[in-house]
Amino acid sequence: MMKRKSLYGVTALSLGVILAACGDEEAGNDNTPNDNDPANNNNVANNDADNNAEANADDDAEETDYPENDIDIIVPYSAGGGGDTVARIISDELSDELGVSINVINQEGAGGEIGISEMANADSDGYTLGVFGYPDNLVLENTADTDFDFDSFEYLAAFDDVPHALFASPSAEFETMDELTEYAEENPGELTFGESGALGLLKILAYEDEAGVDVSAVNYEGGGDLINDLLGDHIDVASSSITSAPEITDAGGTPLGYAAEERVEMFDDYPTHLEQDYDLEMGVSRVLVAPDGVPDDVVNALSDALDTIGESEDFAQQFEEANLPYRYMGHEEVNDYLENANETLQPIIDENEDDFGGE
Amino acid sequence: MQAMDILVGILSFEVFLIVFAGVLIGVMVGAVPGLNGAIGISLLLPLTFAMEPQIGLLLLGGIYMGGMYGGSITAILLNVPGDVVAAPAAMEGYPLTRQGRAKEALYYSIFSSMFGGLIGVLVLIFFTPPLANFALQFGPAEMFFITLSGLIIIGAIAGENIYKSFFAALIGLFISTIGMDMATATERFTFDSQALRAGIPVIPIVLGMFCFAEMFHNLGKKANEIVTYKDQQIKRMTVFKDIVKNKWLVIKGGFFGTVIGLLPGVGTTLAVFMSYGEAKRVSKRREEFEKGNQEGIIAAESANNATVGSTMVPLLALGVPGSPTTAIIAGALIIHGIILGPDLFVNRPDVAYTFLYGMLFTVVAMGIIGVFGIKYFAYILKIRMEYIVPTVLVFALFGAYSFRNSVFDVLAAIVIGIFGALFKKLNVPLAPVIIGVVLGPLIETNLTRSMTIAEAQNLPLLQYMLTNPLAMFLFALVFVILYIVIRMRRRTF
Repeated sequence: MMKRKSLYGVTALSLGVILAACGDEEAGNDNTPNDNDPANNNNVANNDADNNAEANADDDAEETDYPENDIDIIVPYSAGGGGDTVARIISDELSDELGVSINVINQEGAGGEIGISEMANADSDGYTLGVFGYPDNLVLENTADTDFDFDSFEYLAAFDDVPHALFASPSAEFETMDELTEYAEENPGELTFGESGALGLLKILAYEDEAGVDVSAVNYEGGGDLINDLLGDHIDVASSSITSAPEITDAGGTPLGYAAEERVEMFDDYPTHLEQDYDLEMGVSRVLVAPDGVPDDVVNALSDALDTIGESEDFAQQFEEANLPYRYMGHEEVNDYLENANETLQPIIDENEDDFGGE
Repeated sequence: MQAMDILVGILSFEVFLIVFAGVLIGVMVGAVPGLNGAIGISLLLPLTFAMEPQIGLLLLGGIYMGGMYGGSITAILLNVPGDVVAAPAAMEGYPLTRQGRAKEALYYSIFSSMFGGLIGVLVLIFFTPPLANFALQFGPAEMFFITLSGLIIIGAIAGENIYKSFFAALIGLFISTIGMDMATATERFTFDSQALRAGIPVIPIVLGMFCFAEMFHNLGKKANEIVTYKDQQIKRMTVFKDIVKNKWLVIKGGFFGTVIGLLPGVGTTLAVFMSYGEAKRVSKRREEFEKGNQEGIIAAESANNATVGSTMVPLLALGVPGSPTTAIIAGALIIHGIILGPDLFVNRPDVAYTFLYGMLFTVVAMGIIGVFGIKYFAYILKIRMEYIVPTVLVFALFGAYSFRNSVFDVLAAIVIGIFGALFKKLNVPLAPVIIGVVLGPLIETNLTRSMTIAEAQNLPLLQYMLTNPLAMFLFALVFVILYIVIRMRRRTF
């Protein structure tokens, strides 16, 4: 009987300790800014002195305590993907620049909705940031019942511009956009277009509008399954990022076109949509965001640091090595850019709202 | 000349060290309930960015190999498989532990893991291009049939009572429908809860079903009732000879691991359970299954380590990752600017060949750690249960949380654990629940994909699904398996 009791006891005790520890941690996080002021006056004073020294060295920098603690960056995708790669490159450089640790936290699920929603609901103290691929948030807020919208975030910077593309399967009877359209006209509804991610379906719908044809979209959970089925000739066309082009061409598939004003150096072997007279400007741009309402001094401190990193060649090179077309946009530029992009994409989403999320 | 350089590069102290470190880390994360190779790899991923690509890759490959084995240690000793693939090891190994044959079970596990791992890596080295093309033949229809046969097999593998096994599998299928439907984003059983929209991931379910349920189950017992530990001596060679005698089980395990491991998404779990089911089917001592039959350990363990090599086949040959772990490895390669696919062997032979041949070392390192570690692993049994239960619970809680950094997952694991303990009391087997959870989404998405494509091509569904010989073969396989299962279970009907 003693043994039995102690088994319950120890278990209850240890569970209690864990729960208490979890509770403490959360409480600690919530109260961090308030706690620091009265209790750690000395620290604050020291930091002020440090910051003054920095401010003297660099006239642009405003007086701020930020950052005093470690920063979390939420990524709404799984480890190893493009969005995750971008977040890790940024966190590495930004952590050197700001002098605090930055943790990347993967919170995948529901096409990014879970993680993006977590970012939107985080404390806007600048210690929780997020990286996601625009326009995932825009498509999600229009097609799902999300608890965030475009204005839930302060957009700090954008880092890359990855064009979206259409690929033909190895046995397909078309190799250009016009041949694709011709085939689709002759066989209405019969062409199968695989897609994954928020942008995948949007692109197919935009193509149907642009070419005036009717095709069938087939949903895939991830790029891996999608490309597997394209290369095995189970579907006719894949709507995916141009970064898959080398693997697909190696296995006999054909890039039909990708979304760019002009050919991008990294992908100059493949035709763009525009040079074949298709206006399908769509791409993913990874942005760094903070929850809306983050104080101005934090925004300034972050965007100063980001601008410094953004201009460094070493930083750009890390993107190029990861096969991601680098394009840095600072705080002001990114906001203008996204507003323009919203205006382009919103009509396509609105027109096709019925095609999202249901038969 | 270049081949020589690569060979010399492989036979370096640095390579040995990194492989050994990787496998050791893998065994440790694998042994901790709730952590697995994939988690270990994502934790160490940033570390590899600073390494030479082939060295970083071998570190990750070592973790993958070690993690596949490590889960079996705690499965056998404590009945807490940290991952689905170690579930058969718990089903057969833990009863052996209770008979005082823990070390014997551990030797069966490590030797079979080594043979399976070796088969997988050899296949990876010699047959990558043809197998990758074979994997491409599996489209939505083929995937639907093979996952369906996997689901039927569970009727053969678990429990005394076939109705209870199918009940458990249906519960698993039900859990897998929670959340947003993949194709149309329709919400199912979410009750407007934000947290339920993404569904309940497999990791908290595994932890709930296996770790929490086992620990809750133990709570009501007297501590000394739980394990009657007698340190029975066993000679390594005795086990080794028995494995050689059962070579067909090892080879079949390696075959299942290799072929099914090639398929994107299903790979490992399905291979392990198919191999285990096959061992039970051919066994002369079928009634001993789930009471401690080493044949089950041999079949399952050789299959799970064989998948380490085969899941990398589509990754290296086509650039298409077939499992979560290989997806992370693909990410590591991308960061190094290495383009996967057939050209990898032309453009970066140093990376490709060092990695391929280095994977052989992971099997050796796993063998060394496993065989010589058994003495120390067995000490776990000397720890009193009142320390084990809370420790396992703490790790399981961390594991559930760390997967998505989500408190919801922790709660889900605990609630599922309560149901799991209830199932144990009612003799409902737990493995089919997990199989249902894993295969449910695959069966569903591949069926909906098939329906979409059939509709587009104006064909009746079945006609589209049976357009090629492979699909027809798999369709027939579903019925053959159904027939075998019913015949096997006739006694218990």
